[in-house]
Amino acid sequence: MADDIKVDVTMDLKGMKCPMPVVKVSQQIKKMAVNQVLVAETTDPGAQADFPSWARSSGNEIIKTETEGGVSKFYIKKLK
Amino acid sequence: MEKEKISELRGLMKTRLNRPMRYYLDLCTRCGLCYDTCHVYQGIPKKEYSPVGRSEVVRRLFKKHFRLSGRLFPYWGDAAALDDAVMDDVYEAAFSCTGCRRCMVHCPFGIDIPHILSMAKLMLIGNGTAPEELVMLADMAVEKGESVEVFRDGFKENIRNLEKDVQQRLGLASSEGLIPMEKKGANILYVGLSGAHSIVHPAVIFNRAGENWTLSFFEGVNFGAFAGDPVKMDLIAKRIINEATELGVKEVVMVECGTAYRILKFLTGEHPFRVSSIVEVIHRYISEGKIKVRGGAISEPLTYHDPCQLGRNGGIFDEPREILAILALDYREMSPTREYNWCCGGGGGLVALDNEQFRIKSGKIKKDQIAATGAKIVVSACENCITQLGTIQTGYGLDVQVRSLTELVSENLDI
Repeated sequence: MADDIKVDVTMDLKGMKCPMPVVKVSQQIKKMAVNQVLVAETTDPGAQADFPSWARSSGNEIIKTETEGGVSKFYIKKLK
Repeated sequence: MEKEKISELRGLMKTRLNRPMRYYLDLCTRCGLCYDTCHVYQGIPKKEYSPVGRSEVVRRLFKKHFRLSGRLFPYWGDAAALDDAVMDDVYEAAFSCTGCRRCMVHCPFGIDIPHILSMAKLMLIGNGTAPEELVMLADMAVEKGESVEVFRDGFKENIRNLEKDVQQRLGLASSEGLIPMEKKGANILYVGLSGAHSIVHPAVIFNRAGENWTLSFFEGVNFGAFAGDPVKMDLIAKRIINEATELGVKEVVMVECGTAYRILKFLTGEHPFRVSSIVEVIHRYISEGKIKVRGGAISEPLTYHDPCQLGRNGGIFDEPREILAILALDYREMSPTREYNWCCGGGGGLVALDNEQFRIKSGKIKKDQIAATGAKIVVSACENCITQLGTIQTGYGLDVQVRSLTELVSENLDI
């Protein structure tokens, strides 16, 4: 569980078509302050590859990933 | 704009000045026949949204920076110098065009305006003003190619979950091996997108056909191409080329994505494997009797939207129509159609940008075209088109369902 992580924004991206989950998260995180945490909930299997790669290329950090019942949750910390 | 930046942008322009580019830039007589051929101009009738209006932005820069007459007498030749305001025009020209090439098939000289605009996109990359969404998505895709080990296990675990969906759809006792990965010597490497639908439905079809196939770790779409960055386009394409080569597959099959298909098929040189669209493969399976679809399964009137990169720019016209001729009792062709079909307005990466109102307006002619058929279902074979057709459907309250061809086939297999 992620009870120890303070979540600032949660985004429901389930069922969105490619490439909107990453685009929406990228837009949202620009509005947030450094060290705030965003949770992206998605059903895309490709999100398992997309979000870690996006985080590495954009300088953010995935601090936790949970998958349950086909829904993946990515806890993303804004680093810069 | 600083001298160094002007020099850098001029240098980038020069890299694109091959013979076709010079031919296109020199030959346009500005006759204006292309105005009415552009779906954007049809929806927003302003010169800057006409094909020639866009190419003129680049041609004026070409005249100023590469022609003696333009340099000495800029007023004669309508030449324009590079500055920040001009770069705003360059952006508007490049990213209001979907690259559909409908203007090209109507141009008396066959001028390829999207090719001219590739120079505009390259300048925007050099200027650091290319659309940040597309640059971000291209960077993500390049990173993905360099860090497979980071996501390999998580991705495979998600694919195992999808296998259960495929199992249910096929009515099988076990889900094991229904979506193979990293299978050396497979006949086919299938390249999907991020969404489950782009993997599950093809998997149902491949399994039903008894195909020896394997799923790619990567997505087919190439955001480097959409952004207009040739270096990233190559890196993104090479992820798939390298994967296919290492696995030794005979054929790479692209998901319903026109750009993904066109880039690998036509723009990345020769490969030791064949490149096909999933639409061609479905057609082949039906022709060879490997799969059967329920004849006349869809009774509502149905029409097909040709994705520009699959149809006009890829030559795939007959296969989707022959598949739909089996499935649909009441198939209705749009007018105009095939190579003269109107673009929906979603190509060129535009669906990833924050421009919904623009896309609704530029989709007006497509809305009119669909409505004129009286169809209740519009089918296409490109994720970009399907997303944009959905935007048009919502934006105009059009009474149609938008469906993917692969999904329709998968749902109507004679199992």
